[in-house]
Parts: sequence; structure tokens; C-alpha cells
Amino acid sequence: MDERQYDLIFICRPDTPEADIDKVIATLESTAAEKGAKIESTAKWGRKRMAYRVQKLREGYFVYMVLKSSHGEVVKELERRLKVADPVIKYLTVRLDEELKRQEKLKRHRDKRAARRPRKTVPALTGATSMPPVSSEPAPVPPSA
Amino acid sequence: MAEEHAGQQSHGGGSSFGGGRPSGPGGGPGGRPSGPGGPGGPAKRGKRSFVRKKKVCRFCVDKADFIDYKKAEILAPFIQERGKILPRRMTGTCARHQRWLTVAIKRAQNIALLPFAAEF
Repeated sequence: MDERQYDLIFICRPDTPEADIDKVIATLESTAAEKGAKIESTAKWGRKRMAYRVQKLREGYFVYMVLKSSHGEVVKELERRLKVADPVIKYLTVRLDEELKRQEKLKRHRDKRAARRPRKTVPALTGATSMPPVSSEPAPVPPSA
Repeated sequence: MAEEHAGQQSHGGGSSFGGGRPSGPGGGPGGRPSGPGGPGGPAKRGKRSFVRKKKVCRFCVDKADFIDYKKAEILAPFIQERGKILPRRMTGTCARHQRWLTVAIKRAQNIALLPFAAEF
């Protein structure tokens, strides 16, 4: 089975001490490890202004994590943890691996096309002898008056 | 002279039906689909014709394969002041990227990076 990748973002109250936030992160990490998932990276975005008020708060402490797992059960458990954690006011989990796969595919496709294009234009230019270097197609239509 | 100009414009209107195809370096023939008059319909008369600026999909120009919902500053130009998502005909975004864009904006809204609606 393929490995799934999730983005996990949660927002804490802005007045929570750093230690409490670290504690939340630690619990999430241990929970994930229990369930056989792995937290790839954790980034604290710090205090940011939220676009709207949440629980009457205008600011929040954002934490962003990348989670890798082979099944979706972990997310359930992590979200339950986040729900009961006191400092957390909002959280979001997004599954991203399929989009990333699509991105990879598009990129490969683009690279392939980019690799093919110059090879196609070079013989066309040599075949057309002394034509001005028109960037587009070889243009088989001669400039007949 | 004027007629010639009008003819040119009608041609442009016709080509705009190609839509903003993501392939091609220039983002393809952009521009918005012409209104109820159809392509080249209203521009026949000798009225003062203005050349509409061709709108190009911004994501096609950047060759974006993925629109990140975490970058609110990228998504912000595509919402109205009141928080609505701008339609394609306003921004010139191509269909594929608009599809990705709406998903990204909705995700960003859910994590309070973008507003659902403006606050009073």
C-alpha cells in the first residue's frame, strides 16, 4: 500500500506558554508513533493573525506538521487528541499525497516535453535552409505572393 | 482603416474561444469569452473600438503544478474584499487552475488563513 501524506495544522491560543505547545506536539508525535505513523517535520509558524475570530480570539499560534502513514486510522486518533487538548482552538488535516503525485506526474510530463522540443526544432531549422529563425512551427507554407 | 481594425478585433474574439489552454508558453489565447454578442458580432460598426487587454492565467505563466493552500498571500488576490472567490472571467485563470484554486482557497478558509466573509 502506498504511503499517505497528510498536512496537519493546528492553532493554539496565543497566550499559551511555549512549553504547553511543545507538550501538545510531543503527545501527537507519540500517538503517531504508537499507530505506526511518522511525523516527518514540524514547523512552528508562530503567532499569526487569523482571518476571522475563533473563540473570540483574533490571533493564534500556528503549528504545521507533515505526517506520513500507510493508513488513515492515525488521523482519527490525532484529531481526537487535538479536540481534547486545551490550548488548541482549531485544527485541520489534509491528505496531500494524491495531489503531490499528480504534481510529480505533470512535472515529469513537462520535463519530457521540454527535452523533446529542441530536438524537434533543430532539424526543422536545418531543413528550411536560410529561413529566419522563427521560434514556432517550421511553417511549411512558402511565402508565395 | 476603421473597418480593418474592426476585422482584426473580430478575429481576436474568435480566437478567444480557444480558452486559456494550459499548454504553450504564452498560456494560450486567453481573453474572456465574448458576451452575448458572440464573437466579432458587436464590433462591426465603426464605433471606437478599444483593445481589451488579454488576460492570461497567472498559474500557467508560472507553470504551477500545484497550488499551495498554505500560502495565503498567493490566494489573496483571487478573493473579493468580502471574501468571495473571484470568477474565472474576472481573473483570467484557466479552468484547470481555477479548479485547484478554489480547493486551495477553501482549505485556507478552514484553517483561518483566509476569511469566509469579511468581518464588520
